[in-house]
Amino acid sequence: MGRMVAIIVALLVVTNVITGLAVYYLAVPAPGAGSVQVIGPWAGGEWANFKPVLDAFKNATGISYQYTTSRQEDLSLTLPINFQAQQSPADLIFMPSATIKQFAGRGWVTDLTGTLSPSSYQPGALDPLTVTGKVWGGAYTGKVKPGFWYNSSFFTSHNLNVPTTWAGFSQLLWDIKNTSGVSAPILSGDGVGWPLSDVTEGFIETYGGAAMHRALTNRTLSWTDASVKAVFQNYLVPTLQNGFWSAPQTWNDPAVIRSWWNGAYPLYFMGSWITSGFVPNPANLKVFSLPGGGSNQGIVFAADYFFVPKYAAHSDLGKRLAQWLSTKEAQTIQVGVGGHIATATGVSASAYPALDAQVASLMQGKAVLTDLDDTIGNPFQGHFWSELQSLWATPANWQTVLANIQAAAQAQP
Amino acid sequence: MNASAPTKRAPMRSRSRWVRIRPRTIVIHVVAWAIGLAWLLPFVGVAMTAVRPLDQTSLGWWRLSPFSVTLDNFVAVWNNPGCPLSLGLRDSFLVAMPATIIPMLVGALAGYGFARFQTRSRDYIFLAVVLFMAVPQMMVAVPVYNLMIRAGLISSLLSLILIHSAWGIPWIILFMRNFFRTLPLEVEEAARVDGASDFKIFYKIVLPMSLPAMAAIIVFQFMWVWNDFFFAQVLIQNPNWYLSTQCVPRLVGQFVRPYDLLSAGAILTMSVPVALYAILQRFYIRGLVGWTIKG
Amino acid sequence: MKIPGGGLFSRLVPRRGDRVSMGRWGRSQARFLSFFLPAAIFLIVLVIYPIVATLTLSFVAPDGSYAGLQNYGSVLGSPDTFNPACLQRGPPCGTLLNNLIWIGIHLPLTVFMGLFLAVLLQNVRGASFVKSLIFLGMVTPLIVVGVVLRFVLEYPIGVVPAFFGWLGIKSLDVNWLVTPNTLLLGLIFGTVWSWTGFSMIVYSAGLTTIPKDYFEAARVDGASEWQIFRKITWPLLRPVTLVIVTMTLLWELKLFDIVIGATNSQGGVGGAADVLALQMYRYFSNINYSSAAVVATLLTIFTLIVAVGLFRKLLGLPLRKKGRRTAPSVPQVETKPAKAAGDEAQGAVEGIS
Repeated sequence: MGRMVAIIVALLVVTNVITGLAVYYLAVPAPGAGSVQVIGPWAGGEWANFKPVLDAFKNATGISYQYTTSRQEDLSLTLPINFQAQQSPADLIFMPSATIKQFAGRGWVTDLTGTLSPSSYQPGALDPLTVTGKVWGGAYTGKVKPGFWYNSSFFTSHNLNVPTTWAGFSQLLWDIKNTSGVSAPILSGDGVGWPLSDVTEGFIETYGGAAMHRALTNRTLSWTDASVKAVFQNYLVPTLQNGFWSAPQTWNDPAVIRSWWNGAYPLYFMGSWITSGFVPNPANLKVFSLPGGGSNQGIVFAADYFFVPKYAAHSDLGKRLAQWLSTKEAQTIQVGVGGHIATATGVSASAYPALDAQVASLMQGKAVLTDLDDTIGNPFQGHFWSELQSLWATPANWQTVLANIQAAAQAQP
Repeated sequence: MNASAPTKRAPMRSRSRWVRIRPRTIVIHVVAWAIGLAWLLPFVGVAMTAVRPLDQTSLGWWRLSPFSVTLDNFVAVWNNPGCPLSLGLRDSFLVAMPATIIPMLVGALAGYGFARFQTRSRDYIFLAVVLFMAVPQMMVAVPVYNLMIRAGLISSLLSLILIHSAWGIPWIILFMRNFFRTLPLEVEEAARVDGASDFKIFYKIVLPMSLPAMAAIIVFQFMWVWNDFFFAQVLIQNPNWYLSTQCVPRLVGQFVRPYDLLSAGAILTMSVPVALYAILQRFYIRGLVGWTIKG
Repeated sequence: MKIPGGGLFSRLVPRRGDRVSMGRWGRSQARFLSFFLPAAIFLIVLVIYPIVATLTLSFVAPDGSYAGLQNYGSVLGSPDTFNPACLQRGPPCGTLLNNLIWIGIHLPLTVFMGLFLAVLLQNVRGASFVKSLIFLGMVTPLIVVGVVLRFVLEYPIGVVPAFFGWLGIKSLDVNWLVTPNTLLLGLIFGTVWSWTGFSMIVYSAGLTTIPKDYFEAARVDGASEWQIFRKITWPLLRPVTLVIVTMTLLWELKLFDIVIGATNSQGGVGGAADVLALQMYRYFSNINYSSAAVVATLLTIFTLIVAVGLFRKLLGLPLRKKGRRTAPSVPQVETKPAKAAGDEAQGAVEGIS
């Protein structure tokens, strides 16, 4: 009995001592009164590209910043209950435009109408964030998703050519598949699922046309419509069924990137961010679009959007940062690292590195579209991604996948 | 029943029996230990991935060359900018300690009431209390969240302490009531004759006799609160106050699939309940088996 | 020293001499309340009120008006919840079916593995150490178990695909997390791995209450191990089995941490591992309180059915008989074998010889 008392007493004492010490030594340092909290989706190399912009902000205004990485998918799950409790984890947060609009509808967003002026932007850049004349957030630089990126040395060493027709593309895929050392011709990116949605949108905008893409984004066209089914049935699904795609892998895992670059999975459908800091020899990084589409093709240009939450601790600092990010000074710094395209006016063409010229040339003649699932938003987006993952796993079920996506689109408020 | 049933030790003395049993016992021992080790395999993998650099383990932690041990992963996860486990562990302790003591005292009090004082409706109330144990946490999430908002306690550890206390009370009442019923009444009756009040009897006589039960409750409730994720996720919104269980999935969130960080974080988070279990196993099992309905 | 209150199941039927304090009526009530009051406050504010509030919420439309069963209809009718087409073409099946599938596979596996391990480890040296190893899965936070499962099922870092690759089954030497079928099965097996410890421990405790004499007597009479198991062990363990089945069912209905740790808030690829509790969390995160309340209420109804089912079986006592103890009690496994069941066993033993 005495022993047991001793054990319990000891346990209580020890844990209380640990707790006390922990509180004393690990108390959270409150962020400096004069610093702005930023949450963005970029980490690692992408963060290294964004940091100079924030540093320039600090030099220009004297306001220090604290940046935290958080995936937007995770944020979309935690921000609503945060805001509902009238708290905010940051003063400026990057989120897709549809989410910002949803938040604005709920009264969680600071009105930036006075702070940001549409005249400092390219025409239409702020449209996704403008509701009833009020501007609920700002646009930052954007990226396009032009097509399949590849290592040109792989192509030259195997005598492969960039295809210009759909038949040529199919032939290329067969040729690559039969090349030794290749596990699968196309690398399927994964993570939460947006890489698959990017490439699916690529097929839609090329073989269905910009109008189809817009109609699906506006939900005026059904995913089970015959025209949409044709795109899947004749183009995307056969490539899946012929085994041209790898199993989905984490899109930015260095080992995965290496396996793409070294020829295990020679083709990678990605956005233009891939040009900055992902591969060891960017001179060999080339891209081609899906060939053989009609005259009405589109290309997805996805800008990054940010907003200042209503319950931000320092919304005035958030507004100043928002203003900075919309200026051509900030965006010039950003595009300089490559892989970004400015939404602000006045950014000269010389600010872009040579690699991006290739991307610009691919944009010629194509209508600019917004990212489909980003524009529709959650909960559709989550369903869309997981349905595409299941399509990649079982291509034979493509009709069911389309039906499910349509159901999710219809259920979206 | 055979009166002459041999005792357990008998077979070992007889030579012929000993030889006959041996191969079978060996097989059983081998199988049992193999199963035990196989069960441990995932944790072995986690441990390996946590102490080795990721490029050694990313193709399979069972590849043993090259093999180098490093504590970098633990340091990285301790100071991780997204959710540092130093703060996570601190918060888990700050919640688990009070959320164990409070329901234990309140529940013991109530359990004593149920055990000793007869009222007409006592047993119906008791049945209701016991049924609360079966209710899933999800059932109370939304109103408690709104309640805490109104009380201004969202993201405060106090909110979590309160809900965990309330959640632990039903099973502790049941457990202590069962325990108190086994205590002989004579001691209490004697004290009552001497004029002691109910509370004094409870506090000075009954509680000291209940230490084993209390030990079981402490162990079980502490582990239950420490391991919780749902209530923490609902009530603690401010990333500065995340608990360790909330930090672990956040590590996945970020960039690459950082299995080295994940493993280190997992080990740090589970180290506390596993250590507790290792030291106080008997009490934990008594808490589990003594009354097995624990949501 | 024998610890009072220990033993497999605490006794609740009054022993001789275990009297309840029979004060006068009013005094007793006041005394009871004074002890029960702090707990009552906690329970009323943080348990009873929220339960009632959630129940009410499930009948209210998002704009605040009374909606009847409409919320239930929309949740139950959604393919997220109930997607019977999966029986032909595979997962996703919707959360309701996923929980049922989970129960259907996990429950028998856990119960029998636990029983098998408990019997196996009866007389093994170092058994308690092995049992601790198996029990680790129960002690670990479930969110960590989920993350460990992610680690175990992914390719190329996971043991499971590697194991099947080693066996030569190439089709399974892939990332289990990206195919709906393998994801669901992988997670179910993961939960078996985690929960078997519980079933094993409880069965072990149950086995210790069966007097060794029965086994010895049966062996002396020439019974084989299997006959002993079938005619003595299994029937005597029935109350234990009942408890284990109930606890496992309750646990399966509340699956959340493991799924969100191993996959994401959608329940993985195509929602293949989506479960009711996860669905509720999604609705809650999207501030769709009515639907969240619906799912929570459904969950509670299922768990109450299971829990009340256990009580009625265990008690065998009606709730309203005058003069009898109406509190829930658990049959004394210690005493039962010695009396009624002992006769069974005796008969079994004699039947064998």
